[in-house]
Amino acid sequence: MARKAKPERADVCIIGAGASGAAAAKVLTERGLGVVGLERGPWRTKETFGGDELANVNRYNLWPDPLLNPRTVRTSADEEARIELFCPVPQMVGGGTVHWQGWLPRFTENDFRPRTVIGDLPGATLADWSITYADLEPYYDKVEWAFGVSGAAGANVYESPRTRGYPCPPMPMSRYAKKFHAGCAALGYNSFPTPQAALSRPFNGRPATVVSAFAQQHGDPTGTRSSALNVFIPDAVATGRYDLRPDSYVRELTVDALGRVASAVYADADGDLVEQEADVFVLACGAVESARLLLLSRSGRYPNGLANGSDLVGRNVTFHEYSAAVGLFDDPIYAWAGGGYVSASSFQFYEHDDSRGFASGGHIACAGVGIPLPINWSLPDRPLWGPEAKRMDREYFNHSMAVAMVVHDMPQHDNRVDLDEKVTDAWGLPAARITLTPHPNDLAMGRWLIDRNAEILDAAGAHKTYRVYIDRITGNCSHQHGTTRMGDDPETSVLDRDCRAHEVDNLFVVDGGPFPTATGANPTLTIMANAWRVAERIADGHSAPGR
Amino acid sequence: MKPVFFDPHQRATVEAAMARIIPTDETPGAREAGTIDFLDRYLSGLDHIYAKPDGSGFETLQGRRADAWQQRLDIVRDKYRHGIDELDRRGRAGFGAAFADLTGSQQDDLLAGMETGGGELETAETVAAWSPVETPLQQTSVEIDLDFLPLLALHTRQGFYADPIYGGNRDRIGWEVIGFPGPASLAEVHTGRYTVLSYFAEPGTEEHHGA
Repeated sequence: MARKAKPERADVCIIGAGASGAAAAKVLTERGLGVVGLERGPWRTKETFGGDELANVNRYNLWPDPLLNPRTVRTSADEEARIELFCPVPQMVGGGTVHWQGWLPRFTENDFRPRTVIGDLPGATLADWSITYADLEPYYDKVEWAFGVSGAAGANVYESPRTRGYPCPPMPMSRYAKKFHAGCAALGYNSFPTPQAALSRPFNGRPATVVSAFAQQHGDPTGTRSSALNVFIPDAVATGRYDLRPDSYVRELTVDALGRVASAVYADADGDLVEQEADVFVLACGAVESARLLLLSRSGRYPNGLANGSDLVGRNVTFHEYSAAVGLFDDPIYAWAGGGYVSASSFQFYEHDDSRGFASGGHIACAGVGIPLPINWSLPDRPLWGPEAKRMDREYFNHSMAVAMVVHDMPQHDNRVDLDEKVTDAWGLPAARITLTPHPNDLAMGRWLIDRNAEILDAAGAHKTYRVYIDRITGNCSHQHGTTRMGDDPETSVLDRDCRAHEVDNLFVVDGGPFPTATGANPTLTIMANAWRVAERIADGHSAPGR
Repeated sequence: MKPVFFDPHQRATVEAAMARIIPTDETPGAREAGTIDFLDRYLSGLDHIYAKPDGSGFETLQGRRADAWQQRLDIVRDKYRHGIDELDRRGRAGFGAAFADLTGSQQDDLLAGMETGGGELETAETVAAWSPVETPLQQTSVEIDLDFLPLLALHTRQGFYADPIYGGNRDRIGWEVIGFPGPASLAEVHTGRYTVLSYFAEPGTEEHHGA
């Protein structure tokens, strides 16, 4: 690799341009700071997206190609790790929001104090967050109004206080959402339209979201869904202060004599090395990759990896696990329409309840089964091939739907991300290695929620239901948290409450890494709200006298 | 559609197996949908991996992406060469003829035997979490990790249901079998003209919102 001339020093260098990096870029540039964004993937425009399940889902058009970006997985340190496509997220400008349908529930007040609410759970490292719901509420509001989130304030009786409603009314109610509402109503459960990253009506100069069949796990050729790519990136670019460099893969953060981050060294699109200096560095690579970059950044001063004197970088990692009960109905419900994720939700089982016999709970919501076609789904009793498999495809395609959940998996000290000793990626850097064993609470919660979900489908009139229990965490959900815990005690956390590294005062992390716990809800709204909050702190600090 | 990977015998063998995986019954199956054309085109090289999103042709792969796809294709081609040989070996051992010359029920017997293992093939580890046979949820499999029969079943499904631009799903047969009102072309999706609002919600109820 050749080394290119140093570009101009930036006020802030943000590594990653997905949900959190783009949110931080918008805030910092609008506050007047000059930001260099380094994104390892391409900067794709809406014209490059299409309705092609084969390319988008099976052929790594959007997912990372595991031959180029391998990860390895093992259940314990005694085991040989094997290569798996574990917890992938699209690596490109916009990140996971490029191909999501964007369920955007807020966390609740109790999500920020799980240790207080639940108490001691043996084997788990539950911790209260060092920030509260009230700290984040203004930023939830900012993100919701920037995105034009479609939802109904107050419809979720378990939601925490909000200063105002959603900017757009809920999306039209799908046939599958109607079934879900009916099932919940029959059982006396509260249900509500899932807050979505989509526009139910024109908003802020953007047209209403197109109701296609190709949405979840597809990029949006119409540019009408709400995403970091469609909202935050254009906002940041419009300031003229966001120098976003795609295809720029950061290999290492270097430090100066004071132990502060001096530069990010990256390989550019030509494969040449470039050294970018800045006053402040913000990691926004996703919890797995941000931890990996810190661990790759070893130096005399930080022999165990940057900001890792506590040996906590990469530990307490949580991933959620997506599973569902699936119901079959006599009448057609076309649960692929709209992409399958214009949904209805319930927080009936979200809050902790000692009487259930396990800790915490989770958000449940209805969804389609295909994305949209029967290429990438099946049912537990569908054979691999033959007449019965064909019959099930034909008869169930328009008649099946899921009630899904994400498991609120418990943080554990030995569940971690570190560097694989043998496997490297296509750029020669050690792969992220996941070491993970589910906590018994994860499996118990999953089983219990799937049972409730099946009952909702039964109550909605399903003539058959399948219960797909989880027996391990497979990383099928793209959610990732905990690898750079925030907290007030440097002995038990990597970052302080402003997500600044305890050991390195010009280093911040704004993805899911700071989350001490996974919670039972989709994390990206909170990730973006927290990134917004942290970016404001950075901007406040940067303009303070004495700098 | 020019087949350019399989020789005629290989092509006949795989086409016969695909016709057992998605059989023709009162509705068309893999044979009518041309799933063999889909697969042969896929295995032919790097020229048909990604359709352009507006349907105007195919992307040209370059750099690391092209290298990765060449590596993947080499592995998958090897699985097919060995898998086809194994089908014939089992056909001759069990019924005295090559796979393509057997009756449908004899072919079913052999495929069932391969599905349950038998230890004859060198097996790669299946990545269970990403395998479509193990979960109803929406995760894809890593195809280079699949054994021959799951791989063939996956490619048959892809050739039956994927956009016709890839050479299968001839005349949208796969979509018609399951009742999917797919777009007339990729361009329909790309321009935003393709919507499924009438399937999404019952007419007249679009403005009703949840409880």
